[in-house]
Amino acid sequence: MATQVQTVPGLVTPRRSLGSAVVRWITSTDHKTIGYMYLISSFVFFCIAGVMALVIRAELFTPGIQVVQSNEQYNQLFTMHGTIMLLLFATPLFAGFANVIMPLQIGAPDVAFPRLNMLAYWFYLFGGLIAVSGFFTPQGAASFGWFAYAPLSSSTYSPGLGGDLWVFGLALGGFGTILGAVNFITTILTMRAPGMTMFRMPIFTWNILVTSILVLMAFPPLAAALLALGADRRLGAQVFNPENGGAILWQHLFWFFGHPEVYIIALPFFGIVSEIFPVFSRKPVFGYKGLVYATIAIAALSVTVWAHHMYATGAVLLPFFALMTMLIAVPTGVKFFNWIGTMWRGKLTFETPMLWSIGFLVTFLFGGLTGIILASPPLDFHVTDTYFVVAHFHYVVFGTVVFAMFAGFYFWWPKFTGRMLDETLGKVHFWMLFFGFHGTFLIQHWLGVQGMPRRYPDYMPEDDFTWMNQVSTVGSMLLAISTLPFLYNVYKTWRTAPQVAVDDPWGYGNSLEWATSCPPPRHNFTSLPRIRSERPAFDLHHPEVAAMDHVEPDSDGIFDWEADRRGQVSLAAERLATGDAEPEQSSATIVDDGRRPGPQDDIDQTDEQEDDRR
Amino acid sequence: MKFEARLFMYLTPFFLLVGAVYAWLTEGEAVGTGALLLTGALVGMIGFYLALLARRIDARPEDDPYAEVEQGAGDQGVYSPWSWWPLVLASAAAVCFAALAIGWWLFFIGAAVGVIGLVGWVFEFSRGQHAH
Repeated sequence: MATQVQTVPGLVTPRRSLGSAVVRWITSTDHKTIGYMYLISSFVFFCIAGVMALVIRAELFTPGIQVVQSNEQYNQLFTMHGTIMLLLFATPLFAGFANVIMPLQIGAPDVAFPRLNMLAYWFYLFGGLIAVSGFFTPQGAASFGWFAYAPLSSSTYSPGLGGDLWVFGLALGGFGTILGAVNFITTILTMRAPGMTMFRMPIFTWNILVTSILVLMAFPPLAAALLALGADRRLGAQVFNPENGGAILWQHLFWFFGHPEVYIIALPFFGIVSEIFPVFSRKPVFGYKGLVYATIAIAALSVTVWAHHMYATGAVLLPFFALMTMLIAVPTGVKFFNWIGTMWRGKLTFETPMLWSIGFLVTFLFGGLTGIILASPPLDFHVTDTYFVVAHFHYVVFGTVVFAMFAGFYFWWPKFTGRMLDETLGKVHFWMLFFGFHGTFLIQHWLGVQGMPRRYPDYMPEDDFTWMNQVSTVGSMLLAISTLPFLYNVYKTWRTAPQVAVDDPWGYGNSLEWATSCPPPRHNFTSLPRIRSERPAFDLHHPEVAAMDHVEPDSDGIFDWEADRRGQVSLAAERLATGDAEPEQSSATIVDDGRRPGPQDDIDQTDEQEDDRR
Repeated sequence: MKFEARLFMYLTPFFLLVGAVYAWLTEGEAVGTGALLLTGALVGMIGFYLALLARRIDARPEDDPYAEVEQGAGDQGVYSPWSWWPLVLASAAAVCFAALAIGWWLFFIGAAVGVIGLVGWVFEFSRGQHAH
């Protein structure tokens, strides 16, 4: 493959001063840089909330109050742990992965609104900092639980600046999430490369689209509820006054956001593992359209199940919500079927990303099964607000978000940085985290069934909870320590790992991000391959396989199970005829001329100006 | 463009149906009924707009399964190479939102910075009327 050298102004120079690097990052409109900022910020928040969880677990190691200063402080810790993990870690992590990967996967030069993208990031970061800054106020941070039930969250029962900062900080962050979702939807609908039809988009991109639609449905009710709560707290409004039915009104509004939120943070991570299974099974994803329709069905159903969080209020329609909740298990089961079908009779290898994805499958399955138990009101009444629920949602949320996050990090690290993460350290990291996680949370199922309530800082020796809490705490320490090999891995490979010289270091990458260099240039592609299936990079690098693939489905049928692969055979025949059948690399080596372009000389614009002058 | 419109439009009857069933079974519980029906209206509105748009524009190469990459050649749009204004505008918004919690005096400072940020954002690439 002939290599040409292309000079592009304004690309990243290898060495620059700290000040210029900071300015470049904070003024960036590059979707990849903004995506890295999302990923780094959310990982920092993950570590902060993780330390809070460790303090909580340390407090519960033995009966009595030893670690925290007061019950109020314990309340602040679990409130902020939940808030940060859900809204400042998992949700922006979706935005981070979506920003970096999605435009690459559809062959777009950037997102549709680059400046709006940056604005959304700052909204999230500043909103998050405002919400967390409650810790630096005299009365401390918000302490009414992350779902802020009325009237506990009113200024009567929870006075103080910390609660106000929590309300308005989250409102600002929520607007950032909405703006980000609008940006993603517009990008996917309008900026796909030629030939990238809707049913050739990678599953990850599909899941980003569906998640963003879900954000549009879920976050406006949250913004409305938070601003009304803010008006109650600061302006003396009476929206959530229990005398007017405000307690149930808040729960309805909050969970109308809260349940779709669970899927907002789950679906993108389903997308990540759906990208990884085919690559390490050396097979196309099994039942492509089934996965897409299952994603849409999960999203639609998730909006109709909010009140299963409210069974214990006695104020909701139990049969309706129990039925709808159990219905969600069906499309989720379809997804499991497809993931296992993808691995079935594949040539499996167990590199670190694949290991994390299988860890996700196992962990999330446990969470899904206890979810069906909790969907049934008679069973739920027995364990509601106990550690059984805590174990359930940690299996669901940790199983998807954290396992798939690390799967995505190990998988796309060469695309992010141009360097592979170390496999051995990655496997150490995985097994420590796997046993740490299950050690922490598996035992909590039994703890909950025996009646230990969540959110209590203390319990009695006679309760017989002590040994189970100790198992859980020891597990949580192992879980926390497992982050160290990862951080060392990042540091070590940053210093010593060789630069990845090929487009696709895994060898069997499917989607378009593997058809550009590692890391990609400023506007992503110097050339795009022809797109004839849902895995254009694989077709490009392995035309001999594409030539054998004669799938030509009727892609108009709604129940047609396979992706659209028309035209692939002719492409492969052409490639074989010209003897061009070796794994291909992107054709240009990018050389930076070191000059930063001003707004006046954007490349596209300059061409336009010249045209006008003619 | 057709499937994009359908993706939203097909969700509308689902939400309207679920909303109607929910309203009937709960004898008109206001919050859930309203939220479900409004969600139906939301997806219906977006789908309707996309359907209108699909009729108005020409067939796009990204919807053609046999499209060649060069069919997408030409103007890819204008991308801001970098910008200070998102930071300015978001800082102003952050000050305003923090002011709601802290005190109104802070709100006016945030609003003033916000006006500057908004004007800067809108006119960042403006070179005056008719002078493109």
